[in-house]
Amino acid sequence: MVGLPYDLVANPLGAVRSTFEKAAASSGFDPNGKDWGVLDLFRHFLFDQGRLSQVPILNGETIRWIQPKTLVRFRAMVQDMLGNEFYVGAYQDGSVWRTNKFRDVSQFPLGDSSPHTQVWERRLLYCVPVPGQNSWTEPSSESVVNQCKDFIPQQREKRRRMDDEAIDDMNMLVSDNGFQVSPSVKKVKEDGCPSTSSQTQDSLSEGYCSNTSMVTGIDKDFLSCLVKIYDSPESDLKLNDVFEFIGILTLDSELNEDKDDHDEPDNGFCDDVMVHLPPNKGFMLQVPRLHCLIHRKLAAPDFLRGSPMMEPKPHFVREMREVLLRHLTVVLGNDGIAAHFMLLHLLSRVHTRVDTVAVGKLSLNLTCFSKESAALFGSRLSLALKTLLPFTHCIPLTLEYLNSVSLAPKKDYETNRLKTGVLQLAEGSHIIIDETQLEAGTLNSVGMENARLLRNLMELQRVEYDFKYYKMEMAADVQLLIFSEAKSNILPADIVMPFQPSSVGSSEVVTAEALEAWRWYLATVKSLPHSIESEMQKVVENDLVAARQADRSIGSHDFNRWLTMGRLMSLSFGETCLSLEHWQMVKELERLRRERLK
Amino acid sequence: MNMAKGLDFSTDKVLAKEFLSNFADAIGEAKYMNILQEVANRKIRAVQIDLEDLFNYKDLDEEFLRRITENTRRYIGIFAEAIDELMPEPTEAFTDDDHDILMTQRSDEGPENMDGSDPLQKMPPEIKRYFEVYIRASSKGRPYTIREVKASYIGQLVRISGIVTRCSDVKPLMQVAVYTCEDCGFEIYQEVTARVFMPLFECPSKRCVTNKTKGNLILQLRASKFLKFQEAKIQELAEHVPKGHIPRTMTVHLRGELTRKVAPGDVIEFSGIFLPIPYTGFRAMRAGLVADTYLEAMSVTHFKKKYEEYELRGDEEEQIARLAEDGDIYNKLSRSLAPEIFGHEDIKKALLLLLVGAPHRKLKDGMKIRGDLHICLMGDPGVAKSQLLKHIINVAPRGVYTTGKGSSGVGLTAAVQKDPVTNEMVLEGGALVLADMGICAIDEFDKMDESDRTAIHEVMEQQTVSIAKAGITTSLNARTAVLAAANPAWGRYDLRRTPAENINLPPALLSRFDLLWLILDRADLDSDLELARHVVYVHQNRESPALGFTPLDPSVLRAYISAARRVSPCVPRELEEYVASAYSSIRQEEAKSNTPHSYTTVRTLLSILRISAALARLRFSDTVAQSDVDEALRLMQMSKFSLYSDERQKSGLDAVSDIYSILRDEAARTNRMDVSYAHALNWISRKGYSEAQLKECLEEYAALNVWQIHPHTFDIRFIDA
Repeated sequence: MVGLPYDLVANPLGAVRSTFEKAAASSGFDPNGKDWGVLDLFRHFLFDQGRLSQVPILNGETIRWIQPKTLVRFRAMVQDMLGNEFYVGAYQDGSVWRTNKFRDVSQFPLGDSSPHTQVWERRLLYCVPVPGQNSWTEPSSESVVNQCKDFIPQQREKRRRMDDEAIDDMNMLVSDNGFQVSPSVKKVKEDGCPSTSSQTQDSLSEGYCSNTSMVTGIDKDFLSCLVKIYDSPESDLKLNDVFEFIGILTLDSELNEDKDDHDEPDNGFCDDVMVHLPPNKGFMLQVPRLHCLIHRKLAAPDFLRGSPMMEPKPHFVREMREVLLRHLTVVLGNDGIAAHFMLLHLLSRVHTRVDTVAVGKLSLNLTCFSKESAALFGSRLSLALKTLLPFTHCIPLTLEYLNSVSLAPKKDYETNRLKTGVLQLAEGSHIIIDETQLEAGTLNSVGMENARLLRNLMELQRVEYDFKYYKMEMAADVQLLIFSEAKSNILPADIVMPFQPSSVGSSEVVTAEALEAWRWYLATVKSLPHSIESEMQKVVENDLVAARQADRSIGSHDFNRWLTMGRLMSLSFGETCLSLEHWQMVKELERLRRERLK
Repeated sequence: MNMAKGLDFSTDKVLAKEFLSNFADAIGEAKYMNILQEVANRKIRAVQIDLEDLFNYKDLDEEFLRRITENTRRYIGIFAEAIDELMPEPTEAFTDDDHDILMTQRSDEGPENMDGSDPLQKMPPEIKRYFEVYIRASSKGRPYTIREVKASYIGQLVRISGIVTRCSDVKPLMQVAVYTCEDCGFEIYQEVTARVFMPLFECPSKRCVTNKTKGNLILQLRASKFLKFQEAKIQELAEHVPKGHIPRTMTVHLRGELTRKVAPGDVIEFSGIFLPIPYTGFRAMRAGLVADTYLEAMSVTHFKKKYEEYELRGDEEEQIARLAEDGDIYNKLSRSLAPEIFGHEDIKKALLLLLVGAPHRKLKDGMKIRGDLHICLMGDPGVAKSQLLKHIINVAPRGVYTTGKGSSGVGLTAAVQKDPVTNEMVLEGGALVLADMGICAIDEFDKMDESDRTAIHEVMEQQTVSIAKAGITTSLNARTAVLAAANPAWGRYDLRRTPAENINLPPALLSRFDLLWLILDRADLDSDLELARHVVYVHQNRESPALGFTPLDPSVLRAYISAARRVSPCVPRELEEYVASAYSSIRQEEAKSNTPHSYTTVRTLLSILRISAALARLRFSDTVAQSDVDEALRLMQMSKFSLYSDERQKSGLDAVSDIYSILRDEAARTNRMDVSYAHALNWISRKGYSEAQLKECLEEYAALNVWQIHPHTFDIRFIDA
């Protein structure tokens, strides 16, 4: 196909093939499905040589012009796991071993002629863009386009032009579908809907012609992808994890277009032929596939634009904290105490789970909202958070919403898919729940269930996924912020904070650099380690006991909250050890809050 | 398959034949020949070959066994051929059906039509077979989860556990298609191995071919052989799914006698062959790149979810024996319940007894006395009641958790509902019915409506649910142990009010609980410090502080309890008096007090017996010992301990002087001067005191020369003043 050296971005399969052939030619070759060195090649190319930025990012925009069978990057959340897929990984064509790894279809039709075939397996993951992802996390599409267009080899120039002319003409894709029958492919290109003699070609093009909506049908903002994972241990990839997959994009639909003429023997069981693939045709056709070479887990700092700034120096972090706190105070209508709590809340994450307790969560309930102030400050705050945090959500908690929406993901056994719910979220997502819109009324069974789910999420940071015959609890790590008129009883937050804005205040203009810095601050400080020295431990213990002696209603819940606040307070200063000063600040904050509650 | 292998198979057929005719089971019966005789007599259809039998076979050929497990489908054919040759003559007469008549016709015509050369005209052996062969995997060892079945298992016999999520209807699957030719009249056979097949249209018989008549073939449905076929989907069980993953699914094909054995929701263990689905048509041309797989079921086993049917696995029996020998089993087991919940030792003991229960008694006149223990946990908010409840449900093999508020009386007992499709009235069991033979945990018991609570009265004593609604009158079994949790009347226990006011449950309901546990959250510096330390430790070290012991695994716990539940201890005659006197003393005590904490009725007496029996069960003992009764009385006392200690503080009586008065009273009652240490410990522990307190008391009063203490045995001798 292509001579050496391979262009790893434009023709990754060439590299796969040549390395495999080299490995197969060596003595003692054992086709066992393990990597034969191709991953190292790519790793070296992408990371050691720093070519990662040359790989185009796959999204609703770029899918229009990215060529199939090229290397792409795809940032997404694992939404569903479709199980294993078995494929003929290696087979002997004559005396030569060939591989089908990283491909949907065989390069050469293999008949019964090949006596030695090796069945390997790969895992299918259904990945979607991270729910609630804010626009600032994505690299601006323009730069990517330019970057990639520069990168597309000259030989593809003509092809791209055609792309521009008839972007949704599916026949373009046929040319890259791995069928090495070039004359007919050419014909396809010219005629649009050709009639070739061979039956194979016929059905192929039929499939394509009837499905020209494949590319245009994709929602621009919501590109989901079937990612095929090779060779990595199962524990690497978990549900709801956010990953960057680097792999080979394929858009073939031939795997299922023969379903039409395939005489389905069993009507009652529509999906048995495609057990592991989502059976819904429309769904299938919209989903491009990605044969993943390398995947890496993304955390909040990975979404920051530009290079990581610097080591968190204490004075710098301190300064940043002050500025951010001032910004939050302005957003919150000059309520300084609320801003303090807000900052701690934004830094919280579940850092460990002990038994049933999710340690480190800090949900915040701002009370004393009226409908009007909720609308004003709520929208302002959600806007501010959108620019600060990578993944944000807003849930307007109305009766109708509770009674109708499906919050928990649910397994649909008809399609064998996990239907996502609102609460299927990536780690570190932020949710604002606006309870001020809730009115008196009756909840139906769905509403009861939803209220319970929200409560569980608040208390345990767990979401029950409904598998009909049983429920499975999935751990979540979600920051929850609640607006309500009075203390919310449906959603018992860790901190109940009466909100007292003193001025409406105009929203200030924030520079892009400041935003960048704050995002960096929030992402970095959040992941710092934390410890409590034994001396400090004594002080804390005594304080806790004294507090409980004074007020019997204080329990382990409050202890947990204080310690979490202490942790977050010292983290917010960029320090990794709880100091007396910060502990005192926490106590002072709690005192001020209690005063307000009275 | 090449020819070299073919030879192998013929020798394996001989091996199979030898095994079938020679295998003798434990009692020396020729197991498989008996089965074949039954088959010949048309009594059964399925011939199940147990791999375990093959393993135990005296002339075991390990290679042969391995070949069977790794290429099972082929060996089913080999065994079928072997059975064909071994099939005995029927010993009983049976009426011929259509099939038989057809067969006789065929064999009559056979010789003249046999061209011999044409394989399509030769009658395939399948069409003659009345039986179906299944090879069942050995039930030793743990079954695989769906996740563990990898590509390397293709073609092999595996055992998989899972939950059935979907089932198709049972449909006929053609096994042998039979055609007749319009021209030559020959019967043409076509074996069908896949789910889809290409029917024949032209007669391939020699006569038609030579005459070039292209005889038209007609499919004969009555002559063809069909197999029942059902498809099911299984999904991994929740406990087998690793954290952060989604349960996997697998398709299972059930044929013949195995159909209609499963329904959605069943927890099943299948043994079967893991096979790829052969592609047909265009897909096959594109070369099996993506191969779907399924499990060809060979046997179906339903999982047992009751204690009574709990089967002990290999090492569990040994483990239980070791635990039983260990004296401290009572403490060890109870501590392993909800180990993450700090303290509450006695409550955990009570909950353990709830899990164990006492045997049901059925009197001669048909009256039933329940053996299930009912426990109510009442206490201040935040004392981990709900966690305890949820944990117990997890440990119990069958448990339902519900809340009093969330379920109406109908939701708890049973509802009559109209089926939306058929418009028939159907009975639908509620939580209590679903928990039959298990445990029903009801949280927020006090929040339940008065009307709903009445439904529970019947369940708790009669253990049935009676329904008289919409023309349906019936009663359903609800043999369940009720574990309730409730808050005191005013949210928190108010010490200024009487216990009756605080508890706020009607006496009729209260008396049905064997134990009513009051858990008060009292101001106590030590426990506060303990709590503070715990929380700080968790934040500091990101893990729970070490427990100081290794809790037993829930599965071990379950196994032990199920073993214990098989014992049904009885009360020996000599203990009757003891129990009776204990009961009467409780009654008297209650009569003396003007604010009783409990309602002691005859039911209390039954409760004592039940708790004692449960304790005896834990020891695997057939008789209830006095120590069991003492422990039962102690638990009953302890359940109100947090109340008593407050009262005692109010009355100004410290523990030491209280212990003294108890001992003196007991000694006076029995009219003795000597009290053995063991006796003393018994009495005071029934009143909720510890051994340390007893020792303190002994020393203090010995110094006052009230009694003498034996230096070694610590026996007490009162000094007559």
